[in-house]
This record gives sequence, structure tokens and C-alpha cells, in this order.
Amino acid sequence: MDQQQPPPPTPNAPPPSSAVDPPPQPQPQPQIQQQTTPTPPSSTSSTAIPNPNPNPIPKPLPSAIPPPKQPPQPKPALPSHQPRSAAAFSRPWQQHSAQFTHFSSSSPSASSSPSPSLSSQPRGSIALGVPSSHSGPSPPSPSPPQSTPFTGSFGHSFGGTSSSNVSQARPMMRGIGMGSSVGSSSQMRPGGISAQHQQRPLQSSLRPTSSPTSQSPSTQNFQGHGLMRVSAVGSSSSTPSTLQTPQSPNQPWLSSGAQGKPPLPPPWHRPQLRAHIPQQHHSLQTVSQQQHVSSPQVPPQNISSIQQQEHFEQQFSQSRASQSLPHQQQDSRSQGSANQKPSSLAMVQPSTVQVTQNKAAITESDDSGGRILSKRSIHDIVNQIDPSEKLDPEVEDILVDIAEDFVDSITTFGCSLAKHRKSDTLEAKDILLHLERNWNLTLPGFSGDEIKTYKKPITNEVHKERLAVIKKSILAREAANAKHIIGQTAVNTKGNVGKAAANIWVLQMLKYEKYHEALFFF
Amino acid sequence: MINPSTGPSSKAKVQHMMYGFGDDPNPLPETVTLVEEIVVEYVTDLAHKAQDIGSKRGKLSVEDFLFLIRKDLPKLNRCTELLSMQEELKQARKAFEVDEDKLATLE
Repeated sequence: MDQQQPPPPTPNAPPPSSAVDPPPQPQPQPQIQQQTTPTPPSSTSSTAIPNPNPNPIPKPLPSAIPPPKQPPQPKPALPSHQPRSAAAFSRPWQQHSAQFTHFSSSSPSASSSPSPSLSSQPRGSIALGVPSSHSGPSPPSPSPPQSTPFTGSFGHSFGGTSSSNVSQARPMMRGIGMGSSVGSSSQMRPGGISAQHQQRPLQSSLRPTSSPTSQSPSTQNFQGHGLMRVSAVGSSSSTPSTLQTPQSPNQPWLSSGAQGKPPLPPPWHRPQLRAHIPQQHHSLQTVSQQQHVSSPQVPPQNISSIQQQEHFEQQFSQSRASQSLPHQQQDSRSQGSANQKPSSLAMVQPSTVQVTQNKAAITESDDSGGRILSKRSIHDIVNQIDPSEKLDPEVEDILVDIAEDFVDSITTFGCSLAKHRKSDTLEAKDILLHLERNWNLTLPGFSGDEIKTYKKPITNEVHKERLAVIKKSILAREAANAKHIIGQTAVNTKGNVGKAAANIWVLQMLKYEKYHEALFFF
Repeated sequence: MINPSTGPSSKAKVQHMMYGFGDDPNPLPETVTLVEEIVVEYVTDLAHKAQDIGSKRGKLSVEDFLFLIRKDLPKLNRCTELLSMQEELKQARKAFEVDEDKLATLE
């Protein structure tokens, strides 16, 4: 076991190598399982989460999974390093089904800094959803540890290095959040994932872990995406990162694991992972390949509605963290529901913008017929505003409900606009138009450099009449003052009138005034 | 109308400004594009609103723009500062020209 662990960390060094790993992952998975069992004792040292039960491994915790998995697998790069980043994600995720370890490795490869010493390759991957479980020092109880906050779990699971990385990743994630939706995985990846790259793999990995990583809204998007990607077979991993590879390996997994949860670690893994990940990965498989959405990766839930999904994937770039856990559980459900709501995927994401990649990306809001947002994401958002803020449970529930209703209404209207456009594909412009006109919300970075026509704010008739009256009264006043002093009182009164009825009165007064003026002069 | 000076592209300008505000010297192209889009959108929106206000009072003037940013104190102060400096420069140039004229007449 020990031997296995050390070797894996070294090979993990180059992130691109991790990309290669995904393909071999499916195969090694069975191997890993075997290995994991023997290695658990040894692996604990590195990743602290030797998955005793590869199959049940609900936590995609890529990083957490100790190297035991890695050594057996050809993907040395992948799980072992957190920095391995995204590419590793896909792999770990797949393997994750067998073991969690790989997720960690998939974590932001960008953060290659993550101490390779971690030996626990999985650590590097995005421990997004899984880390919580893995982070626990005792692999046997993946679930209990997972419940712990991701950040904490990361530290533990990764064996300490992750903790440092996490902190690094977090700040990085924030910065990246803008650019790369995936960056959110930062939590997952202590190494400060190069958000963009990592986004893809991260998201996939995130899903399983969907845990707290989605702290920042932007990051959340990533996470959701990352996980989705991973699970979804990196369909959209189109993101600049090389993570793409994880997608392919994921696919085989996805297809097989569509029903299962492997991609979606138990809900507790990653509340942040954006529930849609489970849905997404299903859809991602089919869609991802097609869409190669640069943006966040939100894999459309329905495989059937590939077209829609394609759009969604693009939009995902910002998927909110809402997808977290509830989605995972609903993963199987989501598939069914995904078909119902391909449009619901669009989630408007103000933060992450992947201009280059998804012009038509519609913010995807993952929703699998159940809860879209998890309380964890609400917590993360609140923490961004004020770390010491506390919310009542009822308040959280209400916020989640409001968010879900918002997403529902947006997607519904967006679909009707798309239908009005005589198209059967929901695109970013539908959502953008709706938000701009009805919510007065502008999301830069999604319009694809289309000409923006300016529309004056809609004014009512009554307001126009009042304005006309005021104008006339002003003119009358000026005329009155200029001509003579006698009409001052009348002018004053005219100025005060602002009602439509006064319009007539003002006109009459004007007439009288002029008449009197004429008489006066004569 | 032909633009006489090509100069740095708008993206380069935005990039330099971002650096001035604390960003990396070489930010991601997507970030630059996004920031540029935000800036263009903001300026466009401001111009449209100023037009709406200006049309009520006649024609567009500087006052309309100042009115629109009245809520943003740093921006407003910076704008008034720049405008006053512009006035000062104008007067300085005027005085300079007058001096030359005087010298010419004296001679």
C-alpha cells in the first residue's frame, strides 16, 4: 500500500497527464477497489480516506481518496494531485464510483502547487462533493465525515496539504470565479485551481461532493459544472482546460452509472455541487460531447433534449450552487425531470462569464424536479457577504424557495420567448431578454456581442399627460411673467396643478390670461 | 470619417486600466472582454439616459451627465474636479495667448 501511494503522487505531477488518466480510469476502477481495501490502512496516511468500499463510495472526494486507488491505476496524475486539476476530476469521479480518491486529484490542476507530497492523489482533485466524506480520517465512515464542511474535510482528507491548498484555492476561486465558473471548485482544490481548467473536471467531481465548495456564487457555478462535467463525461468540458479528457472517461461511466450515483455522491457530499450535476452528467454525456460548452459545464439534464442541453451547458458557466446535494439524490429523478425541463437549466449567472465560449450560454439552473438550491449554497452566499452572519432555518428555507421560484419563472418565460421565436431551443438571448425587460437585470458577457437596442423606460399615459400639463404651465408662467405682473397669482396656481383635470383648467387660464393681457394693453 | 490615430485598441486600454486598478498585468482575454462589455454597456446606458433627460430641457449638456451620477459621490467628485481643471487649463491657455499678443503689439 505504501508503495502504491508514493508512486501515485509522483506521476500525478503533470496535470495533462491526468487528462490521460480518465480513460484508463474506468478500467482501473475495479483494480482500485481491490487496492483500496488493502491500502486503507496505508492510504489513510495520505488521503485519509481509503475507501473501504469502492462501490458505495458516495463521495467523489477526489482528493480525499488516498493514493491506494491511484497506484493501481494508470492514472497516476489524476487523482493524486489536487493540482492535477480538472482533468483529474473526471477520472477521479469515475473511479470514484469505486473510490472517492480520484476526485481530489481532479481538482484544479491549475493549482499544481498542491503539494505533490500529498501522495494522496485524490486529494488534488476536487474534493468537491466527496471531500467531506473522505476528509474524515477514517475511510470506513465516508458518510459521516463527508457531512463535515468541505473545507474542513479537505484539510483532513488531503492530509493537511489540502487544507493549505483549500485556503489558497479559495481566494483563487474568488478571483477566478469571474472568469471561470469552475473555479469554485477551489474549495475542493486546495491548490487554487486554475479555475477555468478545473471547472470542468471540478464540476464533475464537485457533484459528488457537491459540498460546500460552491461557496462563491461564481465558484458555485464552477462546482456544479465541474461535477457535472466529471460525471457528465466531461461533455462540455470544452472549457479551455484540458480537462476534456475526463469527460470521455466519464462517459463510459456515466452511461453505466447513469442510474447509480457514482457521479453523484450522496447528497451530503456536495451540497454545493449543484444538484444538477447528477442530472447534468446524464445529459452531459450526450450533450457534452456535442456542446463542448466552454462555459461552465452545466450539463443539461436531459440526454434526450440534447439541443437544449447544449445551450444549457453553455449557460452553465454559472450554475449556482443550488444544485448541491438535493440534486445528487435526485440524480435518477433528475433524468426524468430533466426531460421535463430542459429550459430550467438556464440559470442566470451574473458572475462567471465565459464570453468566448458560450455566447449563447444561458445560465443554467439545474433542477431535477426537486430542490435546486441547497442550504449549503445559501450559507456560502451569506458568508460572502458577511462571514459572521447567521440565518434562521426558516429564513434559509424561504430563500431556497424564492430562488427556486425565480428559476422556474425565468425558465418558463424564457421558453415561451423561445417558442415565440419559432425555435425549439432555449437560448441565452431568451433569458437575457426576459431579465432585461422584466427584472431590469443585465448580465454582461452573455450576449455574444449582439447589437443592444436601447429602449427607453416605459412610461404611462398618465405620466405623459402630467408632463405635458407641467410644460404648458411653465410656458404660461413664462409668458405671464414676461408680459405683466397682474397674472402672477394665476401663474402660481397654474404651476401647482399637476393633474390631468388641471390640464383643462390651465388651458382655460392661459386663454383668460392672454385675453386679459390683451385687454390690459388696450 | 476616418480615424486619424489608431492608437491602442480598446481592449488594450481596458487591460491597462484593469492593471491600474490592481489586476494582473496580463489578465485573461475573457476577463478583458467581459470588463470591456460592462464598460461599453454602462457608457451606452448613461448616454441614453442623459439623452432622455436632455431632451426635456432642450439639448444634451454636461449637466445631464452630472445629474445621472449624482448618487455616486466618488465619481461625481472626480467629474467635477476634472471639469474644473479643464476650465483652469482653458484660462491658462487663454492667458498665454494674450501674452503673446501683447508682446507682439508691444514690439
